[in-house]
Amino acid sequence: MSSAAAARVEARKLAAFLRRDLLQALSYRAAFVSDIVNVVIQVIVFGFVSKLIDASALPTVDGSWISYIEFAVVGILVSSFLQLGIGRVSTAVRTEQLMGTLEPLLATPTSLTVVQLGWVAYDLVYVPVRTIAFLLAVSIVADVSFNPGGVPATLVLLLVFLPFVWGLGVLGAATTITFRRGVGVVGLVTTLLSVTSGAYFPVTVLPSWLQRFAERNPLTMTIDTARELLLGGSAGWNEVWQTVAILVPASILTLTVGVAAFGLALRRERRLGTTGSY
Amino acid sequence: MRDDGYLMTRDLTAGRTAPLAAGAERPGDESVRVNDVWRAFGEREALRGVSLVVEAGEIHALLGPNGAGKTTLMRVLTGMLSPDRGSVEVMGMRAERLVSRGYRRLFGLVPSGDRTFYLRLSGLENLRFFGRLHGMSKRDATERAMTLLAMVGLDDVARAPVNTYSHGMQKRLSVARGMFADPPVLIIDEPTHDLDPENAERVRDLIRAVAHERATAVLWATQRLEEIRGFADRVTLLHRGEVKVTSSVPSFLAAVPDTSYLVHIRAADGSAPTAAACLVVLGPAATVDEAGDEPGHVVVTPVTGSTLGDALAPLLAAGYDVLGVREERPGVERAFLWFTREDGP
Repeated sequence: MSSAAAARVEARKLAAFLRRDLLQALSYRAAFVSDIVNVVIQVIVFGFVSKLIDASALPTVDGSWISYIEFAVVGILVSSFLQLGIGRVSTAVRTEQLMGTLEPLLATPTSLTVVQLGWVAYDLVYVPVRTIAFLLAVSIVADVSFNPGGVPATLVLLLVFLPFVWGLGVLGAATTITFRRGVGVVGLVTTLLSVTSGAYFPVTVLPSWLQRFAERNPLTMTIDTARELLLGGSAGWNEVWQTVAILVPASILTLTVGVAAFGLALRRERRLGTTGSY
Repeated sequence: MRDDGYLMTRDLTAGRTAPLAAGAERPGDESVRVNDVWRAFGEREALRGVSLVVEAGEIHALLGPNGAGKTTLMRVLTGMLSPDRGSVEVMGMRAERLVSRGYRRLFGLVPSGDRTFYLRLSGLENLRFFGRLHGMSKRDATERAMTLLAMVGLDDVARAPVNTYSHGMQKRLSVARGMFADPPVLIIDEPTHDLDPENAERVRDLIRAVAHERATAVLWATQRLEEIRGFADRVTLLHRGEVKVTSSVPSFLAAVPDTSYLVHIRAADGSAPTAAACLVVLGPAATVDEAGDEPGHVVVTPVTGSTLGDALAPLLAAGYDVLGVREERPGVERAFLWFTREDGP
């Protein structure tokens, strides 16, 4: 079989993961419904918080004041991709360990890359849908308007951002395979990135040493650029490429380290004979 | 391999009873070779120089008690565990480091664990998922899943969640998953140890058919000694990580000392005879020993070639009543104890 045909066969396996996780999500109907309800509640909560915060305390976008809900909504949007990339892979590994399906899964002739992608395939569809629902709810309930012209550039930005967090996620999965409860380690990384990201409050309120970290945090850069694109009017592709130029090497780094760590973790498990243990 | 990239180890469209295609495995071809495999977990040596060969179309029983090293050997074969020394080959392909996708296509695995499925999905969905990971299209995977579910007797619950299946049903589903891509080698770890006799026989029938009709090499780990008779072609007895014996099942059983029976006897006058008194009556057809302090109970061991009926006939003719008979140990269990005793062969 040609390598193109083999790649097609491997890619087709992603649909199987997608279907599996969709059916599992639907089997937990209450959780599925409550997640949708949570979206609405989140909007209402941020709407109330927005009334308490003076817009002058927030950074301007394109020279204009923005409300707190406008400020936070973009942070939530980008952060949800962070949660997806970092948390989901580790959670998936842990779930497979606990369900006893990890060994049968790894015994199939499926490439590790497809397995790793398969673990997030459902979320790659669900999170954007959920995000769109969130944005719609914000638009309707909180009367926030977004710049439609900034949407394509934001999508490109998120597409480049995703491999960065996915690399961290695979690294987290490697720690889960090795230490079993590695999600705690991943949670720390997620928290550190989130706290210094400026998603929910301006980074200027952080201590100066944390501000220095925040300035180098790819999540902060992505959120800032997305704000300019979605809430401002003049930001365009030029701002996107500047952020992309930083995200691409960062993504290469996290993916390289993550994939290598994952392979090493599996090799170690094979040496110890504990692949299916939990 | 079909033109559409459908990855199958062998062509299933030929049907279960169709003759083997040219180039397919033939009975007698070597399918699995384990060569001097050593594996330790810390100080404990789980495998000590294990070697064995499984041929195409052969059901090879890997017999041993708990902790003998059966599961460790199977995990080495599936690439889930690396050996400290030695090598394993499946269909001539050697398992090294992280085993390749090509290697993983060569075997079907039926693990020993209880939880190996997505419990909230149906049996059909589980099989379809694993089938698609073998590269099948959704349609082919569904057809194959339905065929296998019927073969293992789960077609009526195909769409029910696996968490509603009994333990035996999950085991049968696991066998179906192992057979899904019609691999040339099936690695099956204690599939019947907690099944009722009917379900166990059903699984054995299925595996027997696959081995003989598809020339599939089957490595069947078990500690159920009685099930190898009439099922397996060859047996390897593993004990404390070492191969004690590999032979055909008839040879294995023939090497065992004769079976003994605990017999409760009453003499014509109503008294409880001693072993010595019985031996006088029985003559050379059997040996007789006392069975502890229980009056009227003796251990009768018919000589090779004699049955218990032959042995007891003179006693009955002399007016003795046989009040009860119990086999001292099942024949295969005696074989097991014979081969694993410290001064054994």
